[in-house]
Amino acid sequence: MQRHFERQLERLKTNLIRMGSLVDDQIDLAMKALFDMNVELARLVIERDEKVNEYDNLIDKEIETIFATTQPVAVDLRLLMAALKMNSDLERIGDIAQNLAERAESLARLEGDGKARTQDLIQRTRIASMAEAARQMVRDAIDSFINGDPKLGRSICERDDIVDDYDRENFALLIRAMQDDPRTIEAGANLIVVSRHIERLADHATNIAEDVVFLIDAKIIKHHGIEMKEEP
Amino acid sequence: MKQIIEPVISQAEEKRVVQHIAGTKTMGPDISPNRNEGIFVEQLSAYFGKNRVLKDVTMHIPKHCVTALIGPSGCGKTTFLRTINRMHELSKDARVEGTVLVDGVNIYAPNIDPVQVRRRIGMVFQKPNPFPTMSIFENVVAGLRLNGRYSRRELMEIAERTLRQAALWDEVSDKLHRSGASLSGGQQQRLCIARALAVNPEVILMDEPASALDPISTAKIEELIFELRNQYTIVIVTHNMQQAARVSDYTAFFYLGELIEFDRTKQIFISPSKKQTEDYITGRFG
Repeated sequence: MQRHFERQLERLKTNLIRMGSLVDDQIDLAMKALFDMNVELARLVIERDEKVNEYDNLIDKEIETIFATTQPVAVDLRLLMAALKMNSDLERIGDIAQNLAERAESLARLEGDGKARTQDLIQRTRIASMAEAARQMVRDAIDSFINGDPKLGRSICERDDIVDDYDRENFALLIRAMQDDPRTIEAGANLIVVSRHIERLADHATNIAEDVVFLIDAKIIKHHGIEMKEEP
Repeated sequence: MKQIIEPVISQAEEKRVVQHIAGTKTMGPDISPNRNEGIFVEQLSAYFGKNRVLKDVTMHIPKHCVTALIGPSGCGKTTFLRTINRMHELSKDARVEGTVLVDGVNIYAPNIDPVQVRRRIGMVFQKPNPFPTMSIFENVVAGLRLNGRYSRRELMEIAERTLRQAALWDEVSDKLHRSGASLSGGQQQRLCIARALAVNPEVILMDEPASALDPISTAKIEELIFELRNQYTIVIVTHNMQQAARVSDYTAFFYLGELIEFDRTKQIFISPSKKQTEDYITGRFG
């Protein structure tokens, strides 16, 4: 017979997975809204962020109840610590999807040649590849949690550098484009923010991956496992 | 403190034991084991008739620390505790094989008097057991009266000191002549701890000392254990996992008479190295 405690943990995991698929979907739609200049889609993403926030509060409450009533240790304690942080990261990923959708809406509402300039700039930068890489990191982070796969988790951490490089490259390209043609400034400034948002998506995916390694291997790998040399 | 039992190991025997131990893996935290400090148990087995209830336990319990023994009922933890002060052999058909050194003294050596051993190694039981016909004061000094000549003043001083150590003095100082049985369960248990401390032991064994107490009395006993750790080597058997986590420096997990894992308490409760230990402390056993 499954114990009450195990059922509580299963319910918590299920809600994290549901929240994970929701934010993954939000990223997907936000990117589509951006690339297709689709205002309705952007509005949908913005409205659905409330659902992500509902999950955030629900999961926090579940974790609080489990801590208060079961005094977990060892692997259970690590699961709850990881879940608490993962919840926070997923909520931030949801916010970023919303921010991306807001940028997509602004860009889609540009008048005159604005839309065409935006699409041209997107073509010239690495935003599409970067978005795909970051989204895959988020998906893999959620998968590594579902399957308890620290190897996949570690691979995500390694991929973060690639996304950082894309961001630097985009920044340089967009600055140059805006210098060459000041009419691209509005679109270019928006796309610099978009690139930074995508870079943050990858950071949150990395955080989740680090928590999965902590959960399964009981090892802290974030910040390269650095420890304080002297007690503060 | 007066050394009641002199070390009895000859140099030759010591060399043999050292060589033997060098070839045996002593389970324990990564602290350098010093055979003359703390409790050094080697290949200890305990029997009830033909039933071997403790199997080849080898471990080093560090001095002036609290070590918790955990494990399911019947795993041998209480038997292990009772071998450390030679109480196991008091049961019918019970016997012990192996070595137990307490601060370098082999307590199972043939010339050792078990009564003397039990004086050096105090014990506190699950159920408070003050002598019912004696006053609080007489309870505390009962061991001293049996073992030596002390003036009334000396006895009073020791009683006050140990009752203070046991965090009971403020509650009983004005009623020392009253019966020990008149106290609450928690107070009786602290009285028993004071009685154990009065004979100035080196080791204190506690067999589920708080399991019959309410949460407030339990907290007092735990606080007391925390205070006493600097002066005594304390070994505590507990079924309460959180209690082991709260009060002990080291934790040993026993199962079916074997020592499965022994490490720093933090390590055991954060990331035990054996699956059996993890299953037990997270409540997934069996």
